[in-house]
Amino acid sequence: MAEIFKSVVCPICGCLCDDLEATVENNEIVKMKNGCAVCEAKMVHGYKSDERILEPYIRKDGKLVPVSMDEAICKAAQILTDAKYPLLFGWTSSVSETQHVGVELAEELGGALDNCCSVCHGPSVMAIQEIGIPTATLGQIRHRADLIVYWACDPWSSHPRHVERYTAFTDGRFEKSEFKEYVQKLKAKASQKKVDAAIRRTQVRYQPSQPPKAAIVEAPPQSLAKAGRKMIVFDVRKTMTAEVADYFVQVEPNTDYEIFGALRCLVNDQELDIDKVGGVPVEYLKEIVDAMVNADFGAIFFGLGLTQSVGRFRNIEIAIAMTRDLNRKTKFVIAPMRGHFNVTGANTVFAWQTGYPFALDFSQGYPQYNPGEFTANDLLRRGDNDATLVISADPGAHFPKSSIQNMMKHPLITINPDWNAISRLGDVVFPTQWCGIEQAGTAYRMDSIPVTLKKIVEAPKGILADEEIVRRILEKVRDIKAQKNEKDIQGQQQILERKM
Amino acid sequence: MITITPKRKFDVPIQAACINVDVFTGKTLNEIKKLAITEGKENLTLDDAFDLTEDKTLETPNITLTGDFSKVKRIGQGMKTGEIIINGNVGMHTGEKLAGGKIVINGNSDGWTGSEMKKGLIEIHGDAGDYTASPFRGNSAGMKGGLITVDGNVGSNVGCYLQGGTIKIKGSAGRFLGHHMSDGTIYVEKNCASRAGTFMTGGKIIINGTVELLMPTFTIDSIKPKVKVDATQNAQGPFYVFLGDIAERGTGKIFALKTTNPELATYEKYL
Amino acid sequence: MTEILIKNGFVIDPLNNINCQKMDIAIKDGKIVEKVNEREAKVIDASGLTVMAGGVDIHSHIAGSEVNIGRMLRPDDHVKDVVRKTALTRSGTGYSIPSTYVTGYRYSKMGYTTVMNPSMAAMKAKHAHEELNDIPLIDKAVFTLLGDWWVALETIAKGDLEECARHIAWMIRATRSYAIKIVNPGGLESWGFGRNVHSLDDEVPNFSLTPRDIITGMAKVNAMLNMPHTIHLHTNNLGIPGNYKTTIETMQALESVYKGDKPVGHITHIQFSSFAGDNWAHFKSGAAEIANYLNAHNHMTIDIGQVTFADTTTMTADGPFEFSLYELGGHNKWVNSDVETESSGGIIPFHFKKKNAVNAIQWSIGLELSLMIKDPWKVSMTTDHPNGGPFYHYPRVFAWLYSRKAREATLKKCNKKAQRKSLLPTLDREYTLYELAIITRAGTAKALGLKNKGHLGIGADADVAIYNINPETTDIAQNYKPVRKAFSNAIYTIKDGEIVVKDKEIIAIRPGRTMWLDVQTKEPYRINEEMKRKFKEYWTVEFDNYPVTDHYIKVPEKITIQASV
Repeated sequence: MAEIFKSVVCPICGCLCDDLEATVENNEIVKMKNGCAVCEAKMVHGYKSDERILEPYIRKDGKLVPVSMDEAICKAAQILTDAKYPLLFGWTSSVSETQHVGVELAEELGGALDNCCSVCHGPSVMAIQEIGIPTATLGQIRHRADLIVYWACDPWSSHPRHVERYTAFTDGRFEKSEFKEYVQKLKAKASQKKVDAAIRRTQVRYQPSQPPKAAIVEAPPQSLAKAGRKMIVFDVRKTMTAEVADYFVQVEPNTDYEIFGALRCLVNDQELDIDKVGGVPVEYLKEIVDAMVNADFGAIFFGLGLTQSVGRFRNIEIAIAMTRDLNRKTKFVIAPMRGHFNVTGANTVFAWQTGYPFALDFSQGYPQYNPGEFTANDLLRRGDNDATLVISADPGAHFPKSSIQNMMKHPLITINPDWNAISRLGDVVFPTQWCGIEQAGTAYRMDSIPVTLKKIVEAPKGILADEEIVRRILEKVRDIKAQKNEKDIQGQQQILERKM
Repeated sequence: MITITPKRKFDVPIQAACINVDVFTGKTLNEIKKLAITEGKENLTLDDAFDLTEDKTLETPNITLTGDFSKVKRIGQGMKTGEIIINGNVGMHTGEKLAGGKIVINGNSDGWTGSEMKKGLIEIHGDAGDYTASPFRGNSAGMKGGLITVDGNVGSNVGCYLQGGTIKIKGSAGRFLGHHMSDGTIYVEKNCASRAGTFMTGGKIIINGTVELLMPTFTIDSIKPKVKVDATQNAQGPFYVFLGDIAERGTGKIFALKTTNPELATYEKYL
Repeated sequence: MTEILIKNGFVIDPLNNINCQKMDIAIKDGKIVEKVNEREAKVIDASGLTVMAGGVDIHSHIAGSEVNIGRMLRPDDHVKDVVRKTALTRSGTGYSIPSTYVTGYRYSKMGYTTVMNPSMAAMKAKHAHEELNDIPLIDKAVFTLLGDWWVALETIAKGDLEECARHIAWMIRATRSYAIKIVNPGGLESWGFGRNVHSLDDEVPNFSLTPRDIITGMAKVNAMLNMPHTIHLHTNNLGIPGNYKTTIETMQALESVYKGDKPVGHITHIQFSSFAGDNWAHFKSGAAEIANYLNAHNHMTIDIGQVTFADTTTMTADGPFEFSLYELGGHNKWVNSDVETESSGGIIPFHFKKKNAVNAIQWSIGLELSLMIKDPWKVSMTTDHPNGGPFYHYPRVFAWLYSRKAREATLKKCNKKAQRKSLLPTLDREYTLYELAIITRAGTAKALGLKNKGHLGIGADADVAIYNINPETTDIAQNYKPVRKAFSNAIYTIKDGEIVVKDKEIIAIRPGRTMWLDVQTKEPYRINEEMKRKFKEYWTVEFDNYPVTDHYIKVPEKITIQASV
């Protein structure tokens, strides 16, 4: 019997599209409607992969051996309590309910707590702490924005439905979709390609390929001055998103900061002493600023190309500063293209319990915060922690070698649904359910809108939700600490008795 | 004088804000030994981790630290008087919120050294880390006074939100030097990486070596033969003087030595 | 459940006309009862102490998206005020926007047991409720921002208030909310394109109606739905010199809705809406005009929004106001957060200083209003936490109200220009403990329509605060400091019949309840179909995923009301 689930939420990227339809047969998702390719890959195929962890393991004599859940919980709790300074990292592909218990565990342990945002949009959060942010929910942009700027991000590949659901290709109350125009553009392009091919065939059969030319920024097109929706893309290479934009500005790598500086001067009606910034002629920048100022409502989206290139959070700071300046002339908002489906949730949940969104430390009995000091990579690179718990993340695939080498010097506990790079390195390996497929819970969209993930299929027998695993570790840690306290008290009493 | 040496190599960070002349003053050696520190989550006393000896014949320096202190944080935090000498590398937040006295580091210092400092002197005879003399996250009130000297190089984001005082660097400086500064002086004897003085509204940055790339948000003002660093030092020019950050309508000044920065000559046409 | 007997305290219970009477209070099963068995009950000797109902706060931003962005925004604020974990309590941070657990602990230590979270974008309701679950020891409820909701604007513009009422009823249920919050009506929608409205009769762009239509329409809708509280209104032009005129016009507009029985509107943090003078240079108090109006009319209630001189964080759904505040200069951070179809929001860290003329006059305005409005039942004490100052500064405000000496001591330190302009030296009134109990619990509970809160009569919730104040032997006005201290830290706080604070320390943790209204309209089904159609056009989440489900409220208290539509 096929069962159809409606309004399913996609647990992959920060878009959290919630209009999906899943068809389930024999406890398996067989079809997804409305989703993007990434969604289909995970929800129809990925989650059932052969790489699924099906039972808990503990490393004994260098080999991972299957054990009971209780044994794994005990071992994990023992490792964490014995450590002087454990690090709990990950959390962003989990539901908020799990993150919530995670803070409690870190506090109980007196350890460090960090989430994946320290390697993606943590710099955005730090920039907000320096300067604030004028932003809006995605629907506000859908209804009103007539100028959309994607800067150093490629939603076409990373957030495939972002453009169609929230920005240029969707109808809003006050702004209409540009989709038709795009289709015409595509058709024109296709016919141009046919012409090109025909011309090529009439010419010499073989020509050695030319080395790519240095980027030349084209002059802004007339369409920047038109009414209705426009889309500008700034990036270091011509991405899929750039292909559909009205105007693509190819900037030299690591010069975004300088370009923003120049744009700010122009927005504030200042003259520049130079005529080219980051490979872009100032003349062109002036036209871009005119388009920005003349927009009724502008929106800038930025990605990891800004947060993780030279300058990091300062890049975001100046981008926000420019947006702020633009608000003196028109309405402008800026928003990060957050990646993992619940990285925003991790920031949110950590912040309401502690005041801080990531890079936390509980060693003093109260929360301390400092990216650069308590962020996972900084701790690992310096070798500051002496045990690690990784949950719903794969630093094994994404962290620098030096960090992983230091991580491997100490015990490692992992909680992940499948055998990813970090699970294979673990000393205690927990299997867990896929959030949003086998486990329900809350996730926060990239614009901080809470959405409830659904449970569509049953997890394989015996596999627990990560929330429950973390909760059981927490309970065990409290048991061990209570026993230790009791022993300490008994020990002291014995010493006293002996003295007497 | 109290001498402190580590008993062992530390694995996890130690927070030891109690290593501070104000805290030690009026305490016996035994009382000092029992001061609380943390190693990771563990609560320890100073003598759990360090050997402490007292030399009553010497008044100054009040505290001498010898050995590897690179995992020990917050030494001399908020100190008002007295002198600490550190023979070795030292961890983060050394001399944070310093309100007087002197800290000498015969080694390298880590991030946030002299952060939000008000008065006093910090001498670093090695390299200094990122965020030296820069405030805590989200705080826009930086160093207000005093002097920091660095013999080696400094990292990035040094002297952010500077409101007063002087930073003298004998080596080179990283990116975002003097970001958002509103007053005070930063002097770099060697080279300076790009993006110096971004968002600055006042104060001066003097660069005696090459400027990697000047932000477009600076405009040329004049050429000056020399510039005053502080009461004891003048820098010999000629210097290009740039005003900025104009996007912030700032009136901060960057002095860049003319002889080492020939590519800045293109700006001369606007003079 | 344990039984408790509070013996020999001086009971102040204005809703039952009890003023400093020496009497016993009996508690059983979380309620106030006639009597308990003295041998079995836990007996609290309250002789020489003041016993009041637990405090009720009508307006305090303690949870939700806006509050949490404020938290994230200010590590510099938290580092000044850290709270350690204990065997019983969780760790956290302050200062101006405390983390959730700390919020609960600090309220409870002040003897407060009920707090209204007055500003929640409907679309982010789940977030607000998740946070409320993490605020222990107090009961709470949220007000949904509905004044600029497209559906409301359209139905009011059409003149179909019944349809509007049915939609609002759906929204109140869907967001598990307690009241209708209106912020700068028309202004938030205008802010969608960076504009604002400047008078009650400006037309809202793209919607053919005015702020006046929204205010009166919503007040009528509120009556149709039989809501326990009135509309909760943040006026147009808030924070702009000369705005007292707009405030009086707003109150005048609501006169037509008044039927002579109960109030029809509540103007919140009215201090920020009582400015006179044409510009910031000529800034002065409009308190006298506002107080005169309120003394002559009975259709409104207000809360103060007192400034306490703190380095705080301002946050409001009034996005255009926060931007204009930012443009005044001197601020390092500005957050704006628009919410599609519904609302906007803004945050700016703000340091209220005694030496700043405008800030000091604002401080004076709040106190002038409290002292010049004669009937305390019209007034609730708030700081609009964290806007005027953090909620745990309330005892300072109490002292300024009950002690002329305390006011004078602070006024002396204020800006000289502000001192000259202040009306405080002409005001002799000093609040009695009885009046203080009205503006902090009895009157507040009454204004909110909370039947079981704010008093100690039989059947009331057993939420009790016991303070170390002896009204017989203490001249509170003269000895304002020890009394202020006593209010900062209750000797006992009892929540639902359990002692949670004893000797100024937290000794037990209870989750508080979340109160919400299940508004029953006559035709519930039709509204769903209409809403479904609108959802695809208006929002970016699906109809099925929008409402707050039971999962999000740990301890709910559903209050069912019958609407007349």
